[in-house]
Amino acid sequence: MAAVVSVEGLRKRYRSRDPWAVDGVSFALEPGQAFGLLGPNGAGKSTVVKIIAGLLRPGEGKVTLFGSDPGNPMARQDLGFAPEDPDFPKFLRATEVLDYFASLLGLDEDERKRRIPETLAFAGLDKERRQIRQFSKGMKQRLGIAQAILGRPKLLILDEPTADLDPLGRRDVRALIDQLKASGVAVLLNSHLLSEVELVCDTVAILARGRVLKEGTMAEVVPEGRNLEDVFVELVQANAPPRDQLPSFIKEQDKS
Amino acid sequence: MNGTVAVARYTLVELSRRRILLVFFIIGALGIALIGIGLKVFSSAFNNVVISGPTAPDPAKLQRAFELGFVNDLIGALGFFALLIAFGIGMTVIYHDLDSGAAISIFSKPVSRAAFTIGKVAAAVIAMIAIVGVLSIEARLMMLFFGTGGLGEALWIETVAQVANALTVMLLVMALSTWMNNIVAAIVAFVYNTVGGFVVLLHSQLQAGFLGDNQILKVGLNIVYWLVPHQLMSDARRQIALAQFDLFSSLDTSTPRGQRPSADQIVSSIPGASGAGDIIWWVFVVCLFAGLAYYAVRRRQV
Repeated sequence: MAAVVSVEGLRKRYRSRDPWAVDGVSFALEPGQAFGLLGPNGAGKSTVVKIIAGLLRPGEGKVTLFGSDPGNPMARQDLGFAPEDPDFPKFLRATEVLDYFASLLGLDEDERKRRIPETLAFAGLDKERRQIRQFSKGMKQRLGIAQAILGRPKLLILDEPTADLDPLGRRDVRALIDQLKASGVAVLLNSHLLSEVELVCDTVAILARGRVLKEGTMAEVVPEGRNLEDVFVELVQANAPPRDQLPSFIKEQDKS
Repeated sequence: MNGTVAVARYTLVELSRRRILLVFFIIGALGIALIGIGLKVFSSAFNNVVISGPTAPDPAKLQRAFELGFVNDLIGALGFFALLIAFGIGMTVIYHDLDSGAAISIFSKPVSRAAFTIGKVAAAVIAMIAIVGVLSIEARLMMLFFGTGGLGEALWIETVAQVANALTVMLLVMALSTWMNNIVAAIVAFVYNTVGGFVVLLHSQLQAGFLGDNQILKVGLNIVYWLVPHQLMSDARRQIALAQFDLFSSLDTSTPRGQRPSADQIVSSIPGASGAGDIIWWVFVVCLFAGLAYYAVRRRQV
């Protein structure tokens, strides 16, 4: 089966004097597979997904999206990307944002009329008439997911999709991922919520300081009798630079 | 093509809802109305007070003098507001998408950066032409009510020239704001535009022979002249100056005829209508700035 995404020896740094933000990452994602990209803050997860979405250029290595360079607009035709902290043109309304993005996806008018109300209803934004500038973070996150699924993608990238969602929203996203997986859509999930990743992902890669520490199926990464969080903490701490202790003023407070 | 049209369409929707442009438009519309009403009030008050003595000037000539002043002020007001609107659009149209993160969702769709830039530039140009067009129609209405000084045609051409000049500034601000903060971009563009205007003025003075015959100055100024955008101009300012000269020289009986400056002297100090060379240079500068905006958007990692 042809890989939806193939990442080989990917390296990236933002400026020549900076350390590598991503350092030799490789993985592949196949249709119907849910892949979890895990790591502490600054591990390079968002950089990897942005390179796959054609938003950043890779420094070294090779990345293909549906067999093409992600920088090629046509390669992104079947991509749905819900970014972390999504934002939109702030003077538009939710319906207009979806119509705008549906036009970018090349959907015809009939398709737009059918998909936009349904997508808005799924996101719980169908009654919303305010402009984006008046949206809360959670509402923007819902709209971010809505625009990502609008084109019925074959690859859905979700970058911290549930960070600002309430428990109901999280449940909806889990149900969405399950449904998409069942219909053959590949899902790349980038999340800090390890319990959620454990529930929906078949394969995971744990990153720290730009490198893959461990990768494999959930059963390979998480041994019997342990959970993903334990494995994650153990791996990340073993590869993290020594961290400062608690600030002295906090300790003083403890003494008093 | 679909992508370009979608970007342009929704950029126009956004621009139509931006309060800053609405404020500039309202101030412009009020300013132009006030110039016309002020002229009417002033001219009728002046006629009532002055035109009674034995040396009173011809009321028709006075009226024409007011009209010429009115047209001159209108040209200035239109140019000023066209520039304000150019800054207002240029500072926001691409910058806000990049700065807010909206570009992340947009660029992950199957739209090329070229289509995005073309859509943005098209929307900005349409918005500016629409806003300045409405203001110039208002100016034309004012002229219908208060008189044109015989320069109605010239005002139209001058308006087109001012839109063209504002377009250059807008594209420069737009291109710069993809590299840097939009306020800094506006300041850089303002300084560049002011220096450019000064260089063009100096160049016209040099051509008219007012700056002597210094070869080094000539060569230096000619080089600098081709490094800055040339503001396009119609013949309106020269026509106004000539009409005012004719009018006031016929009123001036105290200065002996031989000591009065000639019409040629008056006209040569005012830049005339732009030639084909200036228009070709303007097209080149517009293409260059639009190309710069595209290059910046293409290079931009979001």
